[in-house]
Amino acid sequence: MTPADNRSAVISRAIWIATAVLAVGIPFLGSPSTVDIVFRISVLVIISVSWNLMAGAGLVSLGHSGFWGLGSYAAILSVNSLGFSFALSLVPATICGALIGATLALVTGRLRGIYFAISTLAMAEGFRVVAVMVPDLTGGFKGLYLDSSRFPGMLSVNVVAALGAVATVLIAWWLSRSRYHFALRAMRDNEAACQMLGIAPLRYRFGIMALSGAMASFAGGISVWRGGYLDPDVAFDLINTINSQIAPILGGIYTLSGPVIGSVMTVALGEVTRLTLGNMVGASLLLYGVLLVIIVIGLPNGIQGALRNGSGAWLARLLQFMQPPRSAP
Amino acid sequence: MQLLSQVIVDSILLSGLYTLLAVGLSLGFGVTRIINFAHGEFVMLGAYGAFWLFTLFKVDPLISLPLIVVGGYFVGWLVFKIAVEKVLAAPHLNQILLMFGIHLVLQNIAVVLWTGDVRSAMPDYALSTWTFGDVFIIHGRLIAFAVATVMIGGLIGWLHFTESGRAVRAVSQNRDAAVLMGINPVRMYALSFAANSALAAATGVVVSFLINITPFMGFSILLKALAIVILGGLGSVIGTLVGAVILAFSETTVAYYVPEGSGWAEGIAFALIIAILVVRPRGIAGESKET
Repeated sequence: MTPADNRSAVISRAIWIATAVLAVGIPFLGSPSTVDIVFRISVLVIISVSWNLMAGAGLVSLGHSGFWGLGSYAAILSVNSLGFSFALSLVPATICGALIGATLALVTGRLRGIYFAISTLAMAEGFRVVAVMVPDLTGGFKGLYLDSSRFPGMLSVNVVAALGAVATVLIAWWLSRSRYHFALRAMRDNEAACQMLGIAPLRYRFGIMALSGAMASFAGGISVWRGGYLDPDVAFDLINTINSQIAPILGGIYTLSGPVIGSVMTVALGEVTRLTLGNMVGASLLLYGVLLVIIVIGLPNGIQGALRNGSGAWLARLLQFMQPPRSAP
Repeated sequence: MQLLSQVIVDSILLSGLYTLLAVGLSLGFGVTRIINFAHGEFVMLGAYGAFWLFTLFKVDPLISLPLIVVGGYFVGWLVFKIAVEKVLAAPHLNQILLMFGIHLVLQNIAVVLWTGDVRSAMPDYALSTWTFGDVFIIHGRLIAFAVATVMIGGLIGWLHFTESGRAVRAVSQNRDAAVLMGINPVRMYALSFAANSALAAATGVVVSFLINITPFMGFSILLKALAIVILGGLGSVIGTLVGAVILAFSETTVAYYVPEGSGWAEGIAFALIIAILVVRPRGIAGESKET
C-alpha cells in the first residue's frame, strides 16, 4: 500500500464512522422532522443494501416488498398474539425473511435474469393475496393495529433503525472483502463459468438470498413500530420494491457506498417534491420513474460513475473516499 | 350441471380476452427479448382513451377501438425510440429496471392527470344479458371475445402473410440469419414493440366496459399477462393461447367452486408463475432458449 492509499483509507474510515455516529446520534438530539428523515434514510439504507447484495450476484429482485411485508406481519403478530417486546419482535421478522429468501433461492435455483425477476414479483404478490385471504390471522382488508401497550417509545425505534442500518452496511462491507464477494461477482458475469471454476452457484445464492431477505424483513418489522398499523396493501406496497432499487441505482449499483448515498438522495428528493408540489398524488413516483429511466439510459453507473467520468471528478474523488480499499483475493 | 356449463362458457369467453391481453407481451418478448413491464400501463391508457371518448363525446368503445389501436401503436413506437432502443444491448438488469421505470412513469402520469378515482365506461351492452336455459351470457363479454378473436386473427395474418410480419418472425427465430437476409433488426424490434402496445391498448378498450378503470389497474393486469406468457412459453403465440385457456379455466373454476373463491382466484396467476418456473421454466410450448 502506498502512503496515498493509506491516507485515503484513513479518510474513508473517518467519513464512514462520522456518518454512522451521525445516524445513531440524531435520534437523541435532532428535531422531530430531522429524526423522521433519519429514520426513513436508515430503513431505506437497509433495504437498498439488501437489494444491492442480490443484484451484485446477478439476481434482480422485484420482490423486496414481499420480504418487507412478511417481516411486518411477523413482527406485529408476534407482539399481538405472543406478547413479544419490541426488540424480541424483530427476531421472528428477521428469521422469516431469511427463511423465505433461502427457500426462494432453492426453489428458483435454475432461474436467471428475467425469469428470476418475475418469480420474485410473483412471490411478493402471492403473499399479498394470501394476506387478504386469511383474515383470521392478518385481519384481511380491515387490517391490524399494533398493541400499543408494548410500544417502547419513539427513541428506541429510531435508534434501533439507525443501528440496523449501520449493521447492514458493516455486513456488506465485510462481505465486500471476503471470498464471497468475488464469487458473487463472478456469478453475475457468468454462472456457468463459475461452476467450472469450482464455485457452487446454488450455495452462494442460498446464502446471499437468506441474508438479503433477512435484512429486508428486518426493515419491514421495524417500520411496523413506526406506523402501528398493517393491512395487506400497506405491508406489500410495491413502493418498497421501487425504493429498494432506486437508491442503489441512483448512488451507484454494485458499490458499497452507492446504496447509502442513493438513500440519502432518494429521501431528499422525496422531501423536495413534497415541499414544491405539495401532496400532489403520484408526483414523487412519477419523478422516481423518470429518474429511473434517465439513469438507466444515461448514467448506468449512477451518480458516482457519472462524476468520475465527467467534469465533477473532484466530487467523485470525495465520494470515492467512502469506498473501502479492496484487498486482493 | 347448470353451474358446470356456466363455468365452461365463462371460461371460454375469458380465455379469448386473456389471449388478446398476453399475445402482445409474448410477441414483444419473442422478438426483442425484453419483458415489457409497462404492458399493463398500455392496457390502462387504452381503457382511459375509450372511457374519455365515451364519456365526453359519446363515442361507443367499439367505434373508438381502431383509433385507440393506432394511438397505442404510436405511443409504443415513441416509447421504443425514446427509451427501449437505448438498452437493447445492455445487461438484463438495465432492461428490467428501464421497463420498470417506464411502468412507473406511465402509471403516475395517469394518476397526475386523472387522479386515482375509479371509473367505468357503461355502454348499453355492458350489463345486458342473453339467457340460454340456465346459462347467462353478458353481452359485453361476448363482444370482448369477438374483438379478441378478430384482433388475434389480424395479428396471425400479419405475422404470416405480410413482408414485415414475416421479417418480425424471422428476427424472433434467428436474429443473425435475419440480419444476413437484409432485415434491419432494430426496425423489427420497434415494429413488434409498437404492435405489442397496440394490442395492449385494444385490450384496454375491451376491459373499459368490463372492469373498473383506475391508474393502478395496470399492475395486476401485467401479472396476469406474465402468468399466461410464462405458462405458455415466452415468445410463442400458440403457447399464449394455451396459457390463457389454463389461467381462465382455473380462475373461473376456483371462483365458482371454492368458498370465497373470487379472492383466491386472484392468487392463481402467482401460484402458476412460481409452479411453472420451477417445473419447466420455458413453459408448455416454449422453445428451449436462454434469455
